[in-house]
Amino acid sequence: MLNIKKLTISHAGKTLFAGLSLAVDQGEIVTITGVSGSGKSTLLNWMIGDLDPSFVATGTLWLNDVQCDTLPIEARHMGLLFQDDLLFPHLSVGQNLAFALPGKIKDVKARRQRVEQTLDNIGLAGFHDRDPATLSGGQRARVSLMRTLLAEPQALLLDEPFSKLDAVLRTQFRAFVFEQIERQRIPTLLVTHDPADVPQGGRVIEISDWQHSHV
Amino acid sequence: MAQALRLALERALPLVPQNRPGLPRQWLAALPVLLIFGPLLPGLYWALSPAMEPMVWQALWMDAQWPHALRSTLISNVLGTVLACGMAALLATLHYPSRLWSSLQRRLPLLLSVPHAAFAVGLFFLIAPSGWLARAIAHFFQWTSPPDWVTVQDPYALSLALALAIKESWFLLWVLAAVLGEQAVSRQMVIARSLGYSRTQTWRLILWPQLLPRLRWPVMAVFAYGLSVVDMAIILGPGTPPTLAVLIWRWLTDPDPALQARGSAASLILLIVLLVCVLAVRGLGWLLKQIQPYPGGQRKPTANWRWLPLHMPLFVTGYAVVAVLILWSVAQTWFFPALLPDAVSLESWLLADWTPFWTTWWLAIAASLLCLPTVLIWFEWGPKHLNALLYLPLIVPALPLVAGQYATLLHLHLDGTAVALVWSHLLWVLPYMVLTLIGPYRAFDARLMSSARALGYSPWRACLAVKWPMLLRPILATLAVGFAVSVAQYLPTLFAGGGRFITVTTEAVALSAGGNRRVLTVQALLQIALPMAAFGLAAFAANWLGRHRKGLR
Repeated sequence: MLNIKKLTISHAGKTLFAGLSLAVDQGEIVTITGVSGSGKSTLLNWMIGDLDPSFVATGTLWLNDVQCDTLPIEARHMGLLFQDDLLFPHLSVGQNLAFALPGKIKDVKARRQRVEQTLDNIGLAGFHDRDPATLSGGQRARVSLMRTLLAEPQALLLDEPFSKLDAVLRTQFRAFVFEQIERQRIPTLLVTHDPADVPQGGRVIEISDWQHSHV
Repeated sequence: MAQALRLALERALPLVPQNRPGLPRQWLAALPVLLIFGPLLPGLYWALSPAMEPMVWQALWMDAQWPHALRSTLISNVLGTVLACGMAALLATLHYPSRLWSSLQRRLPLLLSVPHAAFAVGLFFLIAPSGWLARAIAHFFQWTSPPDWVTVQDPYALSLALALAIKESWFLLWVLAAVLGEQAVSRQMVIARSLGYSRTQTWRLILWPQLLPRLRWPVMAVFAYGLSVVDMAIILGPGTPPTLAVLIWRWLTDPDPALQARGSAASLILLIVLLVCVLAVRGLGWLLKQIQPYPGGQRKPTANWRWLPLHMPLFVTGYAVVAVLILWSVAQTWFFPALLPDAVSLESWLLADWTPFWTTWWLAIAASLLCLPTVLIWFEWGPKHLNALLYLPLIVPALPLVAGQYATLLHLHLDGTAVALVWSHLLWVLPYMVLTLIGPYRAFDARLMSSARALGYSPWRACLAVKWPMLLRPILATLAVGFAVSVAQYLPTLFAGGGRFITVTTEAVALSAGGNRRVLTVQALLQIALPMAAFGLAAFAANWLGRHRKGLR
C-alpha cells in the first residue's frame, strides 16, 4: 500500500499543489494526469527521493506502513520506469538485468539462469550477451521494465513510460506492462498526459484538483 | 582515361585551393586552419631532423643531466596527473549530485581563469620556507626565522607535482561537471539507486565505467601539458638539473647546434614518454574490462563521508594564492613570522612596468579575434570529420611544436615579428576555442536555419542574421577563453617573439628568478587580471546585448 499524506510542494514561494493525499492499493494502478508544467514530474521526483533542493516539500510518504520520504533513494524500494529506457550502455542486456537481481541469489550460474529465464519470458531468448544499443525500441522498453521488476520493488512509479514508442508498439507495451504489474501485485502510480494510457477501470486523478479548490 | 586521371588527381590533391567554381567549399572553409597548421609541418621536419643522427642520441645518452631531468619530469607529471584525477574523482564520487556540487561547479570558472604561471608564483609564496604556511604555524613553534625546509624547487619536483595536481584537478572537475550535467547520466544515477545501490556503488559500477572512456582525452591533455610545462617548472621545479622540459628548452635555445640537436632528440623522448604512458593506461583499462565480474547484486550501504570537507583544501588554495599575491604586491616590509605585512604601500603598483601588460593585451585580442571567424567558418562549412585534428596541439607536448613553429619562422625570416608572435599563439588558442564552442554549436536547433533559408536567406546571410547572433553568449565566452589561453602562453612567446616581446607571463617567469617579490607579484596579478577581465566583460556584454531578449539569456 502506497500512501501520500498531505503533500504540499512549493518553488520560489509559489505553491505547485497543496494538501495532496492519495492511497494506492496492492496491484492497483492509479493514473495522474495534468497539462505539462503542472507539477506531475515534481510529484514523482519527490516520491523517488530526487527532488531538486530548490523545491520545498511538506507531507509524508508511506510504503507498506514504513515512512519513506526521509529515506535515501536506495532504501525506498520504489521501481522506476521513464520514457527513456536508460539501460546501462556499458553492460550487456543480460548484465543489465543481473544488476537489478537481488543479491540473495549468490551463485553466478543461478543468477545467469534466472536472467536467461526472464529474457525467455519476454520473448528475448538468446539476447543475454547483446549490446543494448542493438535492440529495437520495443525490445529495450521490455528489458527496462524487467530490470525494474527484477529488483522486487514494493511500489512502481511510471513516468510517461509509453510516450516515446510508436502507436502499434505503444499498445503492445502498455498491455505488457499492465500484465506484469498485475502479476506482481504492487501499487503503481502512472504519470501520463495521454488518456489512452489509462488502464481499463483504473482510477484517474487530475493534478489540478489540488492546485485550486483544495488549497 | 585522361579525364579519369585528372579526377583522381583532383581527389588526391584537394589541399590546393584553386580559385574556380566547383571548388569544394569545405577546403575553402578550412583554409584559415591550414594557415595555422600547415606551415608547422616543414618546421617540424627542420626542427626534428637533427635528431635523426645517431651521434646526437649518443651525446644525449652520455649527458649527465638528462636522467635526473627525466626523473623529475616523470615524478612531477605522473604524480600530478594521478593526484589531479584522484581528487576530481573523489570529489565527484562524494558530492555529485548535491547542492555542494552545484556550488563547486559555479566556483570553478573563477579558479580556472588563474593562469598557470601566476598560480605557480602564488603557490611559491604559500609553501616556500618563508611562505604563508610556514608563517601560519611559526607562532606555535616559536620560529623566528624560516624553517629549514626544501619545499619549493625540491630535487624530486614534488612541489611542481602539487601545483599541477591542484591546477589540473580544477580543469578535470570542470570537464566532469560538463559530462555529469547531461540528463542521461544523472538519470542513470537515479535508476541505479532506485534499484537499491548506494551512491558509491553506483559510481563504481555504473558511472565510472561509462565516464572513464570519455575522460580519456582531457586526461591526456593534462598529461601532455605537464610533460612540457616550462613556466611552472622554472618557478617551482628543481634547478640543476631542471625538469626535462626546461632542459630541452635550454638546449633548443642554445647557440651551439650540437646542443640544439640534443634538444630535438630529447623532445622526441617527451613524445615517447607520452606514448608509453598512454599505452600503459590503455592496457590497464583493457585489463580492468576483462576482469569485470558478472553483476552479483550485492547492495552495500556505504559509509557516508560527505560531511568531510575534502573540497576545502582544493578551493581554499586557489583563493589563498590570489590573496598572498595581493598582499605581497602591496607589502612594504613583511618580516618572517608576521602573517600580514608590517607596512603597506601602493608603490610597486605605481612604479609598475605596464609594457608587458599592453603587449599581452593586444596579442591576446589579435589571436582570439583571428581565431573566432576561423572557428565559425570551420564549424559551418569545414570538413567536420577532421575536428579531432584541431585538438592535436592539446594532446601533444608543446615543446616539439614550438620548435617546429620557430624553425618555420626562421626560414621565412619572420622570427621576432608581431605577425609571427600572433601566428604562434593561434595553434593553442584555436583548439581551446573549438572546444568551448563546439557544444553550443552542435546543440543549435537546425530548424531555425532551415526556417531562415526557407525565407530566402543565403547560408551566409542566415548565419549572419540568425545563427551567430543567437549564439552570441557562447561566442563571447569562446572569445574570452581564446583571450585567456593567449595570455597564458609562455613558450610560443619566447620562441616566435625572439625575445623581442615581453608579456606578463614571460615577465613573471623571468622575475621569479630574481629577488624583488613586489615587482613579481604585480606582474603575476596582472596576468590573472587580464583573463578575469575578459571573462567578466564577456558575461556582461552577453547580458547587456541580450537585455531585451529573455530567450538569449
